[in-house]
Amino acid sequence: MKKGWIIALVIVVIVILYGFTSYNGLVTMKESTTAQWQQVETQYQRRFDLIPNLVESVKGAMAQETAVFTALADARTRYAGAQTADEKAVAAGQVESSLGRLLAVIENYPTLKSVDAVRDFMTQLEGTENRVATERGRYNEKVRDYNTATKRFPRNIVASLFGFGELHYFESADGSENAPQVDFTS
Amino acid sequence: MNKILVTIVFAFVLPFSLFAYTSPGSPQGFVSDFAQILTSTDKATIETKLQSLKSSTGAEVAVVTVLSLGDGTIETYAVKLFEEWQIGNKEKDTGLLILVAPKERKARIEVGYGLEGTVTDLQAGNIIQEIMIPAFKEGNYSAGLIGSVDAVSGIIGRDPGAQLYLEEPKKDWDIPLEAFFFLLIFFVNVFGHVLGKSKSWWLGGILGAAAGGVIGLIFASFVIGTISVVVLTLLGLVFDFFVSRRPPGSGRGGSSGSGGFGGFGGGSSGGGGSSGSW
Repeated sequence: MKKGWIIALVIVVIVILYGFTSYNGLVTMKESTTAQWQQVETQYQRRFDLIPNLVESVKGAMAQETAVFTALADARTRYAGAQTADEKAVAAGQVESSLGRLLAVIENYPTLKSVDAVRDFMTQLEGTENRVATERGRYNEKVRDYNTATKRFPRNIVASLFGFGELHYFESADGSENAPQVDFTS
Repeated sequence: MNKILVTIVFAFVLPFSLFAYTSPGSPQGFVSDFAQILTSTDKATIETKLQSLKSSTGAEVAVVTVLSLGDGTIETYAVKLFEEWQIGNKEKDTGLLILVAPKERKARIEVGYGLEGTVTDLQAGNIIQEIMIPAFKEGNYSAGLIGSVDAVSGIIGRDPGAQLYLEEPKKDWDIPLEAFFFLLIFFVNVFGHVLGKSKSWWLGGILGAAAGGVIGLIFASFVIGTISVVVLTLLGLVFDFFVSRRPPGSGRGGSSGSGGFGGFGGGSSGGGGSSGSW
């Protein structure tokens, strides 16, 4: 009779220990994604800060392209006003597309590209875009690990018990993963 | 049935690879010339320069040439290579990668997190455009790389913060590793004595199980915990069995030195730097 109790007790202890390890594991993974998101936002901010310089250096020669500049300014304002991570992600996407449009328009002014100030800011912008892409890629990897962990059996039981929900991936538009390629040799 | 299984497996595997990075291999030194575009004397020259850069500033600069970038861009390849080799000091991320892909005619300087303030994107870009690319256009890879290495070393060496990289000698893992082994052997001897006193051999098993449980908690994984419990219990039982039979011997092995290139320090990069093509 005693043996039965001991076995039951051992099983209970094992289940509790399992609960501990799973919970802690999920917490660690979730924190990891949050920390990585901060990295992404840091790079967004860096890009945000660089843009006015780029605009200043080209505005003189491209004064008639008011539509593009206005769109970019609007997108920046919206990013500055975004509060939650989701809002920021959406706003960052708009900044990206209007920035892309500006860069495409600059291609129509070949002499502009050889101006030192413009070239410098292009290089910096390239570097920033690459950083954004790298951090976002890492964020997606961490989200993938976390989401997989919350869904796999038997951990999904612990996950739903303690409210570990699914996180969204970063879905960038096709091709925007790569930094806007600016070709100086053309 | 088999066909369906294979299809399902492939469907799960393929979407997960954003781009199939294939490692060029292990580091051959600070210079790893997989594309074999450098003469051995030039390779040695650059290697010496990079070694002295590391001793004077602590920064790890790697020069790597690869045969092919696969289906990635030089930016994504550089990030992956940096992640794999972990160039730079682990705490300070003072690593830099100069990557050249002669087949695709692309080059990149990838700067680790810790050096981003010292070697800015602009500086990296200038080095590539003004030193590397003109030389590469003439097929003179050695001059391009030697010039770039000199420029990068100059920037890092001139940085007033550069000496700070050296202030903390690598006390993180070197010493504790030796101490760990020493402690381990010490405890093995102690346990040997204690467990040897009793003729029975179940105590070792219990100790093994307990240690396995702790390991499981540390790694926050039930799988690792279960495996450790099973393995360590068995080991504990076997160990106790042996020491109970005869008096434990004593003796310590010596530690061996390490030869060849020890590898990079564990640093990481965030995609900073600049690229160019010729």
